[in-house]
Amino acid sequence: MSSTVQATVKRRRSTSEIEESTPAWRRRLTSDAAARVAALLSFLVFWSLLALLFERVPGPVEVVQRLGDEFSRGEVFGNFGTTLYRFGIGLLLATGAGIVIGVLMGLSQLSRAFFESPVLVGLSIPAIIWAFLTVMWFGFGDMSPIVTTFLTAVPFVIVNVAQGVRGVSRDLRDMSSTYDVPVIRRVRDLVLPAVTGYIAAGVRFAIIIGWNGVILAEWFGGGGGVGYRARFWYDANRFGGFAAWVVLFVGFIVLLDRFVLDRAIRRAFRWRDG
Amino acid sequence: MAILNVQNLGKTFNLGTPRASRVLADISFEVSGQTFVSIVGPSGCGKSTLLNIISGVEEHTSGEISLTSDDGGPTRLGYVFQDPRLLPWRSVMRNMMYVQNDKSEATVARVERYLDMVGLAKSADLYPGQLSGGMQQRVGVARAFAVEPDLLLMDEPFSHIDAITARALRAQLQDIWEQSKKTVVFVTHDVVEAVELSDRIIVLQPGGLIYEDITIDLPRPRRQTDTKVATLQAEVLARLEAMKEMSRTAESAA
Repeated sequence: MSSTVQATVKRRRSTSEIEESTPAWRRRLTSDAAARVAALLSFLVFWSLLALLFERVPGPVEVVQRLGDEFSRGEVFGNFGTTLYRFGIGLLLATGAGIVIGVLMGLSQLSRAFFESPVLVGLSIPAIIWAFLTVMWFGFGDMSPIVTTFLTAVPFVIVNVAQGVRGVSRDLRDMSSTYDVPVIRRVRDLVLPAVTGYIAAGVRFAIIIGWNGVILAEWFGGGGGVGYRARFWYDANRFGGFAAWVVLFVGFIVLLDRFVLDRAIRRAFRWRDG
Repeated sequence: MAILNVQNLGKTFNLGTPRASRVLADISFEVSGQTFVSIVGPSGCGKSTLLNIISGVEEHTSGEISLTSDDGGPTRLGYVFQDPRLLPWRSVMRNMMYVQNDKSEATVARVERYLDMVGLAKSADLYPGQLSGGMQQRVGVARAFAVEPDLLLMDEPFSHIDAITARALRAQLQDIWEQSKKTVVFVTHDVVEAVELSDRIIVLQPGGLIYEDITIDLPRPRRQTDTKVATLQAEVLARLEAMKEMSRTAESAA
């Protein structure tokens, strides 16, 4: 008795073949950029619907108009510059102190024991509490937003850097000590590149949380700035003006993250991609 | 060149605890001059631990160890590990320079010369991730020679790469060593490799003792196809088998 076996051959296509056979419009519609645009459009539609349903929610068009008014009054650049100055100093201090303390905590058991509890306390205190406290301590002016940014951001940098330093390869550390590599070179060429990802993650958190801090300190402490201006419109019961400033500072963070931080991180890790 | 003196060296991990485990019991030997010494023995006999103690990565628990430069200056160590241990975020050239004492033109020229000797002159700007395992290990070998060490330690450097690449690297190592004539302590479990490369083979036995110290008096370069090399390899292998048998007998008697 004989039987015939029918073999099923399934040919698998290469990625370039698949790409070539997909129409261009379909590739564009299923791209990452299209997904981002779709998310933005969905948000705008949702926002417009809310504005139609609720009287006290200003729509996108009204917010853009109010933003235009603020620009024509000359309020935007001055206040934004003031906030950026305070935020920049606070963030710079937080990053510097965070890296130093984080490296110490990662390298030394004694430093870890010393800093662990204060860092935990720092992490658990919300930005709004720091804003209240610094306004009480330093009053109106630059000091309270700078200190609030610093205090809210620094624990996040410390925790991330310490974790990164603890994860530095033991093999590479042994190799360095066998060859008597000087400590400064070890920190520069081994420890810092190894923790770059952790520093980047820490700074990213620090920027988002520190930005909240600076806005809140300006909100309560006055003395100009984005937070102060948002509070001004809130107190005036003009929600369009208030929302214009919210859009401005949220937009700033999104653009900063996408065009500066994201690119800087990709550049720092170009060795991974070869 | 260096003089390495090891006297009654012992190492016990977790000393003074219930988990104490003795790896090296009583090791004594001296290495000096333009000598290539291999340390062979079965897995777990303490070969790598011995090398780590010599390099200062591990501390010994008894005995003495000293390393002196025959010109009286500070001793410089080179180490080729089982894996290449390169900084993945630095180019080949920067990995080589990472362990150098200075960045002078002479140092750069020396580093380039050793990269050329291992056939990687054109890969100086590449990152380790862009190289094959064999190429990475060649960078490790070049790095160790380029520091011009008084003593070069090598811990089974070819055990993680394929046989053909390992053979080519051994030949390359022989050539570089012929030119530099450094004092080398080479750990391997491969007797064939040890006979091909060494002037002397120290055989460690389980329990961390020296079983035998064999002098290899064969002309270089040595190739495995050479009858004298093959005969000696078989002879050393037979002695190792005898040692293993003796250890097994002693173990079952105990």
